[in-house]
Amino acid sequence: MNDILTRSLLSSRTFKPETLTALLVLLGAVLMMLAMKVLNPGFGSVQQIAAILTTSIFLVVAAYGQGLVILLGGIDLSIGVVMSIAGMMIAGLTNGSNEALTWALPVTLISCTAIGLLNGLGVAFLKIPPFIMTLANGTAFFGVALGITAGSSQRTVAPALQVLMSAQIGGIPVPIVLIGWFLVAGSVLQSRTTEGRKIYAIGSSLAAARVAGLPIEALTIAAYGVSGLCAAIAGLLLAGYSSSATLDMGDPFLMPTIAAVVIGGACVTGGRGLYFGTFAGAIFLSALSTIITVLSLSQGWRNIIQGGIIIIALILQTKQWYLLSIVNRQLPGKQSLDGVLPQNSEV
Amino acid sequence: MTTFQWLVTVAAVCTLIAPEGRLYAQNEQKYKVFLDMSYSGNTWQAAAANGIKALAATPPYDKMIEFKTIISGTDVQRQISDIQSMIAAGAKAIILYPLSPTALNRVIHQACSKGIVVFTYDSTVTEPLAYNVSNITARYGANTAQWMVNKLGGKGEIIFNHGVAGTAVTKTYDEQAYAIFKKYPGIKIVGDFYGNWNDATSQEEVSKILAAHPNVDGIWTVDGTYGSLQAVVQNRPNRLVVIAGQSNNGYRLMMADPALQAKGLQGISSSAGPAVGGYAFKVMMEVLLSKKKLTNHNVEYPLPWVEAKDIKMCSGDRFEGGCNVFPEGKVPPLFLDTALDPKFLPELSLDAVQTGNPAAGAMIQPLPDPKYADNLPGINCQECKAPADALEPNLVSPIPVAK
Amino acid sequence: MSQSTRGQRRPIPSSAFAALLYGIMFAIYLLYSPSAITLAGITDLLNNTIVLAIAAAGLTLVILTAELDLSSVGVIAVTNVIVATVSTKVPGGAFITLILVCLIGLLVGLINGWLVAFLGLQSLAATLGTMIACQGVALLILEAPGGEVAAFIMNRLTDTVFGFMPVAGLILLLAVAGWLLFRRTRLGIAIYAVGTDALAARLSGLNVKATKWLAFGLAGMAYGLAGYMLGAQTGTGDPRISNSFLLYVFAAVAIGGTPLGGGRGGVIGSVVGAGILTVMQKLLFAVGVAEFYTNIFNGVIMIVAILFGNLSAILSLRQKAIMSQHRDGQLVPN
Repeated sequence: MNDILTRSLLSSRTFKPETLTALLVLLGAVLMMLAMKVLNPGFGSVQQIAAILTTSIFLVVAAYGQGLVILLGGIDLSIGVVMSIAGMMIAGLTNGSNEALTWALPVTLISCTAIGLLNGLGVAFLKIPPFIMTLANGTAFFGVALGITAGSSQRTVAPALQVLMSAQIGGIPVPIVLIGWFLVAGSVLQSRTTEGRKIYAIGSSLAAARVAGLPIEALTIAAYGVSGLCAAIAGLLLAGYSSSATLDMGDPFLMPTIAAVVIGGACVTGGRGLYFGTFAGAIFLSALSTIITVLSLSQGWRNIIQGGIIIIALILQTKQWYLLSIVNRQLPGKQSLDGVLPQNSEV
Repeated sequence: MTTFQWLVTVAAVCTLIAPEGRLYAQNEQKYKVFLDMSYSGNTWQAAAANGIKALAATPPYDKMIEFKTIISGTDVQRQISDIQSMIAAGAKAIILYPLSPTALNRVIHQACSKGIVVFTYDSTVTEPLAYNVSNITARYGANTAQWMVNKLGGKGEIIFNHGVAGTAVTKTYDEQAYAIFKKYPGIKIVGDFYGNWNDATSQEEVSKILAAHPNVDGIWTVDGTYGSLQAVVQNRPNRLVVIAGQSNNGYRLMMADPALQAKGLQGISSSAGPAVGGYAFKVMMEVLLSKKKLTNHNVEYPLPWVEAKDIKMCSGDRFEGGCNVFPEGKVPPLFLDTALDPKFLPELSLDAVQTGNPAAGAMIQPLPDPKYADNLPGINCQECKAPADALEPNLVSPIPVAK
Repeated sequence: MSQSTRGQRRPIPSSAFAALLYGIMFAIYLLYSPSAITLAGITDLLNNTIVLAIAAAGLTLVILTAELDLSSVGVIAVTNVIVATVSTKVPGGAFITLILVCLIGLLVGLINGWLVAFLGLQSLAATLGTMIACQGVALLILEAPGGEVAAFIMNRLTDTVFGFMPVAGLILLLAVAGWLLFRRTRLGIAIYAVGTDALAARLSGLNVKATKWLAFGLAGMAYGLAGYMLGAQTGTGDPRISNSFLLYVFAAVAIGGTPLGGGRGGVIGSVVGAGILTVMQKLLFAVGVAEFYTNIFNGVIMIVAILFGNLSAILSLRQKAIMSQHRDGQLVPN
């Protein structure tokens, strides 16, 4: 009786711990911005919020793939390189024409997904640790791209992509609308489909998943493939936004995708985390970097503040777990909660 | 003595008295020349490397040298390791983009002590035996800041786009620019960020700062200029800015566009250009072949300086007749016009800097005498003093400070 | 090296495979570049390896406890700039700076350990935060590359002693010897136990939190030492962090046979792994690989090295593959 109650509480969205984490992270982002507004009245105008949201789309999209891979207990270090390759490909293939988009777009997306699938193959079948596999793969393909393009910036990106990133629908910039759609689609795919739930299961316990007969290798490969695809989409958007492409344009995004996923509440060992959390983490980081810019300090202080705030955000996250566990301890049937707390706080 | 001993003695004597041009392995009198890149995969580095490669393959150098490009990556110890490998492999000349002005001094000293000619391009080292070819001493920061102040009439709001933090060039240029801006109380820096010489990053950051400071009058950049300007064009198209920065083709086209000028765009196209690599290579070869002897190890490559009125469209593939920009669509917007240098590097064509292949029919032309650079302690020399006016502009005359 | 458990037959340590791979790579390198075997050549190679080796050794301690640590490059940046700013200003500078950097590294490591073990933060994110903060501190101490390292550090530590032994090699031998002693201590054994199964370790009376805390602390000290050696190699300080170096440190540990899931492996493997990554660059140059091919080969060789190391898992057929704690989707035999 008590188990059913707690289980139903856990399965209802409002009490899901990860949703709470994500909401707290978003709240944190909003609080930071409000604090800045007090210090600097010019900050926080509608245009600035719009700018913050627009520029966060690259991280939001790329971090989705990273989040999926981390759910499995892995990691993807090739995201930066794949973003750059996607940008270079779309720019080089379209060369300023919209007609070329019809075939250049699928070619780019498929090629980059293939790089992701290659990652997945290495991890699933060759049992190479994801850290090394994705790092080595990314390095190798960077070399290939360097050889083909010599690093020169590519031709103009198709105008349609550029327009996409700068247009507005009903006064709202298109990228913000896209972010909303992506959030919904991504969350549904990750948490509501059977495949998504299987990935959670694999991430939680490989042994149990094996016993249950889940297609572990197939899902692993698929997850890395999706990561490659997301990186590709982010790269396309970035190329559209900056109307150009270079081979190092994806580099600044790799560490932030990892940070966004983890700040959003996902567990690096896998099995736990909502896309909503990653999304919140991405927005949080975007707001953080804006605030740091506004503070106008030397780079040294910027880094110290950035590092400090990341740690504070993490601490607040764990405090929230403790709060929740205290709350839930009042409820009957608390013992089924033990599997919910993150592993780190257990010991 | 036996016949064998005679032969050996004769051979030994021959090698001793042979002129410069001893046998190197099996490649009849070819000098081993290495290009050591550290950063790679960005437009600037690619253009510089392509220029050097094209020159190395241009007659008569193509027959004289055995040329190889090594990419060491961004870890300084790897660059040290690669240079040691080059020494062991019998290099005669090394041209490199050093990751640090000081960390490579020991290994470069080793190389120079073995008679290897070592040249750096754009990024400098403080090792006295090495040769530096750069325009870091040409006071980009002071000149561009003063130019902006002049155009703004001594008052206005400015966004400051720093380069990569922790580099000597960022420290130097920032110091110069801030010193100039501080002199004019009407000039206010309302926002600064680290664009890291990256156009996408610059575009993102400027759009955010612009949203909070809608009355910005000017943007100072070293690179990432095109992205910075894009942010203004997209968010505030009817009121553009005074901007100083790089020499991307797209940026120059925008500078020269009368429609944009009518909206207030005033730009200066300057900053370090990839052609410095090719120029350093040519100077290095002349020193290697003993055609030139440099009295000072620091050579200054002239700072590009193109204003809107100087911009002239090119009709062909070369910068001829004073033209300095290509029409839209011929090259990508981020293409660096300063990859070509009709004065010092007439052997390079557009194709050469985009692919690294030598231009058809080109022959290496001799260089005029080099201009030597100022001392900048910690940048290109160790125990030395900077000139007293190191922070003052030398290309632009300052307007008086308003009372 | 793996810990033998209850008299079970000890599997071939994965560091042996790493050492074999290293031997093969060095042999090929030697074939193309005969000067590799000279004292100068070996000294240079060891000098190129030592910073990565010591950093990887430190990271191993953390990874053995099944945690991650990204802060190595941050600590190295801070200690490197300190060596470049302090060592020439203080009498007896070399020695005092050494103590100073070890203390600073220890401090940062203990902070990391406190965040992870006592506050329960995820190690990947927490150490990412400390890494960024450390880079900030480095930039505040030294704005641009420069400074000056005391002549003693710069010259003596990169040279040879007794006429034939490179100092870097001596330091590595000392590190290995130190490790062999350490892993038999209570803390050493506790580290393995915690990494294998933290719950079981706690239930059998080990203080898991303190173990992790100390592991992070010792790792930090190792990073401090690595920054010191970097000062010796380059003669100056540099506040910038090389992201590629961070990835190499992890690669060295993984290639050396320590799975990122913890509980197995050891420092010796990581030192050899660092050696592999360093000699790989020499090998590629000597063979004539140039330009972008270096990147491609770097990637491929890293994968090959791991596959090579996986042989040790496959060859231990007598081991029952009990699936214990897993990490990164890889099976970790107990």
